[in-house]
Amino acid sequence: MAEGLTKVFGSLKAVDEVSFTVRRGEIFGFLGPNGAGKTTTINLLTTLMKPTSGRGLVAGYDIQREPQKVREKIGVLFQDITLDRELTGWENLWVHGLIHGIPRRLLRERIRELLAFVELEEWASHQVKRFSGGMQRRLQIAAALLHRPEVLFLDEPTLGLDPQSRNRIWDYILELRREGVTIFLTTHYMDEAERLCHRTAIIDHGRIIALGTPEELEKSLGSEMVYVKLASNSLQDAARMAEGLKNVEGCRVQMVKPGEISVSTIKASEAIPRIFEKAEGLAVKIREVTYHKPTLEDVFLHLTGRKLRDEEVSGMEAIRIRHRWWR
Amino acid sequence: MVSPASAAYVMWYRQVKRFVRARSRLVGSIFQPIFWMVFLGLGFTSALRGAPVFGGIDYLTFFAPGVVMMAVFFTAFFSGTSIIWDREFGFLKEILVAPASRTATILGRILGDVTIAMLQGVIILALALLMVPSLNLTGFPLVLAAAFFTALQFAALGTILASKLKSFEGFQLVNMLLAMPIFFLSGAFYPVDALPGPAALAAYLNPLVYGVELSRRALTGMGFLPLPTSLTILTASSIRHFLVAVWSFEKTTAE
Repeated sequence: MAEGLTKVFGSLKAVDEVSFTVRRGEIFGFLGPNGAGKTTTINLLTTLMKPTSGRGLVAGYDIQREPQKVREKIGVLFQDITLDRELTGWENLWVHGLIHGIPRRLLRERIRELLAFVELEEWASHQVKRFSGGMQRRLQIAAALLHRPEVLFLDEPTLGLDPQSRNRIWDYILELRREGVTIFLTTHYMDEAERLCHRTAIIDHGRIIALGTPEELEKSLGSEMVYVKLASNSLQDAARMAEGLKNVEGCRVQMVKPGEISVSTIKASEAIPRIFEKAEGLAVKIREVTYHKPTLEDVFLHLTGRKLRDEEVSGMEAIRIRHRWWR
Repeated sequence: MVSPASAAYVMWYRQVKRFVRARSRLVGSIFQPIFWMVFLGLGFTSALRGAPVFGGIDYLTFFAPGVVMMAVFFTAFFSGTSIIWDREFGFLKEILVAPASRTATILGRILGDVTIAMLQGVIILALALLMVPSLNLTGFPLVLAAAFFTALQFAALGTILASKLKSFEGFQLVNMLLAMPIFFLSGAFYPVDALPGPAALAAYLNPLVYGVELSRRALTGMGFLPLPTSLTILTASSIRHFLVAVWSFEKTTAE
């Protein structure tokens, strides 16, 4: 689907030689923090932008040489609301359907079906500016599905939504997954990628740094994670401890922060006593030890040394969300 | 294959629907020309005590056909704003990823704006008739033609500007800077054929002059150019600008 796809903005390589293939009927996730290049990749694949170099094929058509063909095959749910707020729910779908070439009679039928699917029948004749954020997103999903696309692009489908709306949208996506629609999805929510995607690529600074099923990615870390919190909040102690753990059997230090270390291991229940022994030997006091199976979050942490959630909603994004409400 | 007619129709439908929904826009755009007519037109007419000016008609009769075109001009020229808004708020992406031909969508859009602008022109003309009953209504079809091509002309220019200037503030600023001279040099206020050299040249280059000229010719029989000349210049330049608008919208991206 993508081969060495690159997009450069001035001196910034937003997407840096990205290559991957999405199989038919698969949900493929692009997981990464804000500014990692997820939306730019979608903009390239949906023909909104032209790549600086590289090649992309969507539904068998070249994004640069046959953009028109690509546009016929795709449905896109953009991160920003792309509805006309002055028009009603029904009118928005009507406009969308006609610019996608659906014959009128069929379009009326499909609008009815899809409004039922996203549970917005009662809102059909209200202006979109009266909709809540979750409702707008649901209406956009209806629009993206209206012309039965072969490939569906979902850019952060649940960004900024309350948990209830999020669950609802997940249900719709799982329903589509059962129907076998090919979906390319970006997200920076771990649980979203874990729950929805067949395979996930982790992207950071415009590069794919890992790719596989959620299970594969988690296994790549070793099977369990142990978090050790020290009594003192010093980086020195943590570093000393990490150094000491290097030659403890079955332990791999993943991250060191002041007063905190995370360790991956095959069996946490056996590793923990060893960690305590080591701490005693080094005269480092431990306040708390927790462990759990690794999540995609840990994978990301391991690969980039950063947490994803640290920048869950960046300043720019918050402004954008507020902007949307203000309008 | 998406039918270009459907795509154009639905974009027209959207522009008109949006306009009908925004009542304040409708009211605002009708009051402005009325103010011009009452405060400037009537004011001058009474200051001159109804004396005939500019070829033997009173000032209000001279001015009214120009105000009709002025209403058309402002609405059409500022219609490009909606492209900027659509870019800002995402709807433009919806159009750009759709398989419909861009020529069809921009054609529908511009025709929608033309419809709105003509509608306003007609409303202003009806109101002008109340104040100047002597306007010659047999010229109505010609006024409609002038309104159509003037609206097409400036909706196209607005689209070109909106495709180049991507910020709302930039567009507002440039539009205002251009609108003022176009408006004052349109021949609505005074005959432009009497202007000294450079000013006359600027007036002849001003596309609004020909719309005002045709409107006045149709409604009062007055004018400084032969009818076929002004009609030809107006249609040719509006079609040319329309084609440039299509071309610049074709190339536009969501960036």
